[in-house]
Amino acid sequence: MKSHFISDSDFSKFVESLIRSVRVVAPVAKKTKFSFETLESVSDLRLDYDVTILPPKKAIMPVKQELVRFNGNSIESAISAQDQVLLGVHFYDVKAIDMLDELFSQGHKDYNWLAYRQHTTIIASNVQKVSNRAFFASVGQGVQAKGHDGFLTKVSGGYVFDAISPKAEALVKQGTFKDASPAQVTEAKVANEKVLKECPETLKHSTEAVQKKVREAFKKEELWKQFSDQCFSCGSCNIVCPTCYCFDVQDEWNLDGTSGKRCRTWDGCMLGEFAQVSLGGGHTENFREERHTRFRHRMMRKATYLNDKLNGPACVGCGRCSSSCVPDIADPVKIINKIMEA
Amino acid sequence: MSKKVTVASFDFTSCEGCQIELTNMGEHVFMGLLNHIEFVEFREAMSEKADAYDIALVEGSYSREIDRERLLEIRRKAKIVIAMGACATCGGINALKNHQNDWAENVYGDKASMPHLASAKALPISAVIKVDYELPGCPMNKEELVKVVNDLVHGKAPLIPDHPVCVECKARETVCRFELGDHCMGMVSRAGCGAPCPAHGIPCEGCRGFVSHPNYAALEKVLVEKAGFSRERAANKAQMFTSNYLEKLR
Repeated sequence: MKSHFISDSDFSKFVESLIRSVRVVAPVAKKTKFSFETLESVSDLRLDYDVTILPPKKAIMPVKQELVRFNGNSIESAISAQDQVLLGVHFYDVKAIDMLDELFSQGHKDYNWLAYRQHTTIIASNVQKVSNRAFFASVGQGVQAKGHDGFLTKVSGGYVFDAISPKAEALVKQGTFKDASPAQVTEAKVANEKVLKECPETLKHSTEAVQKKVREAFKKEELWKQFSDQCFSCGSCNIVCPTCYCFDVQDEWNLDGTSGKRCRTWDGCMLGEFAQVSLGGGHTENFREERHTRFRHRMMRKATYLNDKLNGPACVGCGRCSSSCVPDIADPVKIINKIMEA
Repeated sequence: MSKKVTVASFDFTSCEGCQIELTNMGEHVFMGLLNHIEFVEFREAMSEKADAYDIALVEGSYSREIDRERLLEIRRKAKIVIAMGACATCGGINALKNHQNDWAENVYGDKASMPHLASAKALPISAVIKVDYELPGCPMNKEELVKVVNDLVHGKAPLIPDHPVCVECKARETVCRFELGDHCMGMVSRAGCGAPCPAHGIPCEGCRGFVSHPNYAALEKVLVEKAGFSRERAANKAQMFTSNYLEKLR
């Protein structure tokens, strides 16, 4: 890995030229919040964002995605992945994309995810402003951010750019980059260490201790009922989560009755209809009908069930669930700390 | 294709806006659908009447006793009854009057005694007849109607979402009304509209009705604590489209 430096003005020119050659998806302002969008002008780019409403996984697996098109007996894949650069991804979201890379590669491979992922170059950037519900410093501390191609850190007068993959080295050739000085490398290192001390929320126990005790709390029905008393089952905590990856598949028929498409849409285990399955003959069964069982399921997924597959929790501490929950009951830090102290 | 599916359209207490939506579908969609269905009764567009039909689309709420017989007749003649729009599925905006006694004087002044104003509570048509499918919304979502009719014509079970509007706000990354210091009913209201209102700066009023299991107690709490409502206003918030739901919860 090599550390480069690019000045602020050269960085703007670099991004402008990048936009002209490839789809660049990056954080932009959205009222009081931020979202990842296809960048139209470098003036829209907000690398000083705290956190986006939806995680950047949407650039790889959109909220609604066409999987196949069919006509009579003929079926064709709808995959049409084009090269794209995902710019300005915070390290916690890099970790989340890496988890999905892992989960979508195991067992039945998800060829849709893999196709769009392969065409995606990820240029991460340092957290310049910590969001008011973040706890990324204390969750899954043993899990390293990996899978990204490069990492930008804001320093005085410009950016230090760590080129990790050959894709990133190729990008360096497109801009006016110099070798970063030792002082600039140190400044970047200090900036990235500093934000880890600025999280407003902290998990007080190790991943292993949390996994064990949360799992043991499964049968404490009253506790889960208390936690979920104000839950709307609105699924906001699922939809904004960078590590949630459940989806619903539906066929959409055209009016001719022979052709149509099969699409998948992000789903959420907190929604009442999530676990409703067909028993045939128009009958259904819902195996997580009560909201406290759904609430519990989400915490089990985040803190226990996937740990062995991922070598850590399925949570990166972005705080999106906490801030998107209107009654403010979804915060994993509050839930887990309470279970640990019970 | 064999015989076309016959469809008839009817209206009760309503603005007939849902039926107008039918004619707003655009030639392409409407003509595509007409390859498979045939309208046999539709006051907005034709003068013929029919003795039987496969699908009856019913707009409007049930608010007058004299409408009962007409609804029963539609049920007798139809194989499938689809309640179309907020009025037919939950009483709609008409149900605003359900908790008031002076609405006629306030709205019609010295004409308050006009005979056709004599009406009871505005109720969904399911208060009188069995309804097979409900297409909520004010107006009903015309794409959803096409989808449901298309599914029925081709033998697929239609799916109406039963999750809150929040899902659709998050999906389109609308900044939450509560985040902006406003209120909203999206957390208890049925999605399927695509959440256009919050995206355009308007709180969700639940025109598609409540989801099957709304947490209204939690709604009252956030309306008071986050939106600054009085307890009374929070308790009575859901009376625009969802008055009949609220009554059922109490």
